[in-house]
Amino acid sequence: MSLPIAELVPPHIRAFEAYVPSKPDPELMRAYKVDHLHRLNNNENALGPPPAAARILAGFETPRASIYPSGDCYTLRQALGERFGKDPERFLVGNGSCEVIASVIKAFCDKGDNIVTADKTFAVYEWVAEFSGFQARLIPLKDYGYDDMGMLRAMDGRTKILFVCNPNNPTGTWWDRDRMERFLRVVDGRAIVVLDEAYREYVDDERFPDGMELMERHPNVVVFRTFSKMYALAGLRVGYVCGQKEVVDYIRRTHIVYSVNILGQPAAAAALMDDAEHIPATRAMVARAKELLLPAFDELGLEHVSGAGNFVMVRTPVSDSLIYRQLMRRGVMVRTMTGFRFPNWIRVSLVQEPVMRDFLTAFRDVIALSRSDGQP
Amino acid sequence: MPASHPQSLMVELPPDVAFLPAAAAAAENAAQVFGLDRSGALKLALAVEEFFSYLCRYAGREEPLRLTLSHGGTFVRMAFRFRAGEVSLRALNFAASVDVEGGGDSAHEEHDAELGLLVASRTTDRCSLESSGAGVYVLLAEVDRQYPEAEPLRSEQVLSGPVRVANPDGAPASEGQLRHAALLAAGRYPARSCPASFHRPARFADMVAYGQYHALLASDAAGRPAGLICWRGSGPRSVVFSGPYVFDANPDHTLAKETARLLTERFLAAVARTEPVCAFSERPTADVPEGWFESLGTLTLRGLTAEGDEGGEPETQAALFRHLREDVGGAVWAHPDMVPFLERQYDRLAFSRDILTTEERPIQRAPEHSLLATSFDRRRGLAILRPLLDGQDFAANLAAHVAALEEQAPEGQPGGAMPDILLHLDLSEPWQAALYPAISACGFQPRLILPHAGSSDLLVCQHVPANR
Repeated sequence: MSLPIAELVPPHIRAFEAYVPSKPDPELMRAYKVDHLHRLNNNENALGPPPAAARILAGFETPRASIYPSGDCYTLRQALGERFGKDPERFLVGNGSCEVIASVIKAFCDKGDNIVTADKTFAVYEWVAEFSGFQARLIPLKDYGYDDMGMLRAMDGRTKILFVCNPNNPTGTWWDRDRMERFLRVVDGRAIVVLDEAYREYVDDERFPDGMELMERHPNVVVFRTFSKMYALAGLRVGYVCGQKEVVDYIRRTHIVYSVNILGQPAAAAALMDDAEHIPATRAMVARAKELLLPAFDELGLEHVSGAGNFVMVRTPVSDSLIYRQLMRRGVMVRTMTGFRFPNWIRVSLVQEPVMRDFLTAFRDVIALSRSDGQP
Repeated sequence: MPASHPQSLMVELPPDVAFLPAAAAAAENAAQVFGLDRSGALKLALAVEEFFSYLCRYAGREEPLRLTLSHGGTFVRMAFRFRAGEVSLRALNFAASVDVEGGGDSAHEEHDAELGLLVASRTTDRCSLESSGAGVYVLLAEVDRQYPEAEPLRSEQVLSGPVRVANPDGAPASEGQLRHAALLAAGRYPARSCPASFHRPARFADMVAYGQYHALLASDAAGRPAGLICWRGSGPRSVVFSGPYVFDANPDHTLAKETARLLTERFLAAVARTEPVCAFSERPTADVPEGWFESLGTLTLRGLTAEGDEGGEPETQAALFRHLREDVGGAVWAHPDMVPFLERQYDRLAFSRDILTTEERPIQRAPEHSLLATSFDRRRGLAILRPLLDGQDFAANLAAHVAALEEQAPEGQPGGAMPDILLHLDLSEPWQAALYPAISACGFQPRLILPHAGSSDLLVCQHVPANR
């Protein structure tokens, strides 16, 4: 009799929870019996990509779909090198930043090693470490922000990587230049410091530290960026890592080639070169959305947190998953925050005004219902 | 506390009674190594002997029988994995009665085998049959380690702030802290709100040490136990929690409320990124913070009252629930008679479910004998039935179970009847949904839905005797 499959699986994989993405929109609309769905759950940029990228997408010649893409995103790396004034060899491009997170962990962690990050942040650092068999040391946030001293105290001789999501998803908090410098000085090159700057283009503040510049003085700094957020190319899955050449050379050994598709590569390069108007327009959209939402949350007496980024978190008087289901019935999809260890909070993506108004109408309705009899 | 021995022993045995002594010896030896006393080890060995004899007769002969003996922490488990075509395990029914008078030699042999199986099922603390793919079954039985009962602690302490909850990544609570907290909880809260192990605190501490339960403790500024919340997995997709328990003489004390909130928040943070998709409780305390869980409905239980008075007023008990992530919807099976109830409940809860209807199966297409699993909580006067195998005799079998349970006395009430009987239907199984008319005819009424508590949602039905 053959062995049960589970007996073939290592314990750290058996204990691991598979991520279950949400169902496709048509399925969700059918399930919740709605004829439209406002996607406010994934912090997508509702303006769409910059015009140059949009032209690339519109002009894609279908016969090219039969051709393999550049295995190492040669042209896109040239564009990144030009944009940031660095050797293109210092960039590695992946199928979204999730892939490069896995590459970095594989490159630097060995059995018995650990990573350090926050408990309430982007979950993928923790997930990838744990399903790879490495301990993730999770430091509680302090005032909704990363606790630098807590992270430093958690380091030991087996700490290989410190992940800092700057600005943090989902709180939008960020470390300024001084704080980041102090932190890097204390780390003193004993571990790789990953600065995940997925939302950095949303920050319009000169005190925000630029990882691209920090890595020149701190060779253990590695920066993640993505085309999924500000550049609105989430559907094409393009993210990248940049670091010192030696560091990137090691990461490259664990990195999958040919993982970025033939449409995503030129679209990302074009987006990078055509963001002069796109970034301010997106920031303006986000600012206007905040002007609408934050006073409304205040009026409802609900605590909220919004820093940098195109999202806001609001504390709900009943279970976040119940609010999710009730909003879905009204054609609005938000992100529940229990999985981010913020139970009874939801995160709402900030998009154009008409959609924000639709959200507020549905949200007020659901909150009123929850207050009328204890639950919607 | 956990020992350093290997935690399981696996033996493959040809389906031949000549190997019966080998099976029994392996069971007895493993049981003792895994911490059972002499009496417990003999019970397990007896169960293995009887199951092995039975399987030698009925299981497929082309493959060996795989016996796995494992250390479950506070119990030792035996599991036989076997292949069988037309297996009849009716003797595992709690209510099974064996007619030793009937039939000829062949019938006598069959009855002897079933009698042995019945004896085995009743000498163990739990016994169940699981399907593990087409024609492959796993027969499981568990014998518990014995722990002394302890008197609950009644304390009039008033907490002093600040209250702290240990970080889950930090040092685990000590055995002494867990035992102390269990006794304080047992002293402050009614039996219906506490796991039975709170009254055997060494067992509770061992359950935590072995990972059967997870627990978070709060302590106040003076270092005294301030509160407790505990939980365990219930199937792959849900966790069941008990608590929060707060050890403050004044439940309206702000610090008491803060303790309950902290424990609940930490509990949810601990399970938020694990496999389960939801958390629920069938025995929440009054200290559950408002707004954190949804009410699935209530059960009116006639069992022991808070004061332990026999025949007291029925207690209404809420079942609470929350998702740990977004609900992605799903499908459930239902007999047409169940559909109105399910539609009302799913609409009230705003759950997205496709309700697929199934009709009753023609009786001649079912196997001869059905099988029901029965679990007891004698302290709460509660029995829960679950259909394991369909069979032509299901209606009679269910009625026999109800009659037998009505003869079972809750703890401390010799001669009394088990006051509350629930039946759980797994709505992922069309054959279980098809049993609904028989269940309804037997006096069960649908009460509430437990989302994700089985392979899919579970429908909880409660037996309502005709004279009540």
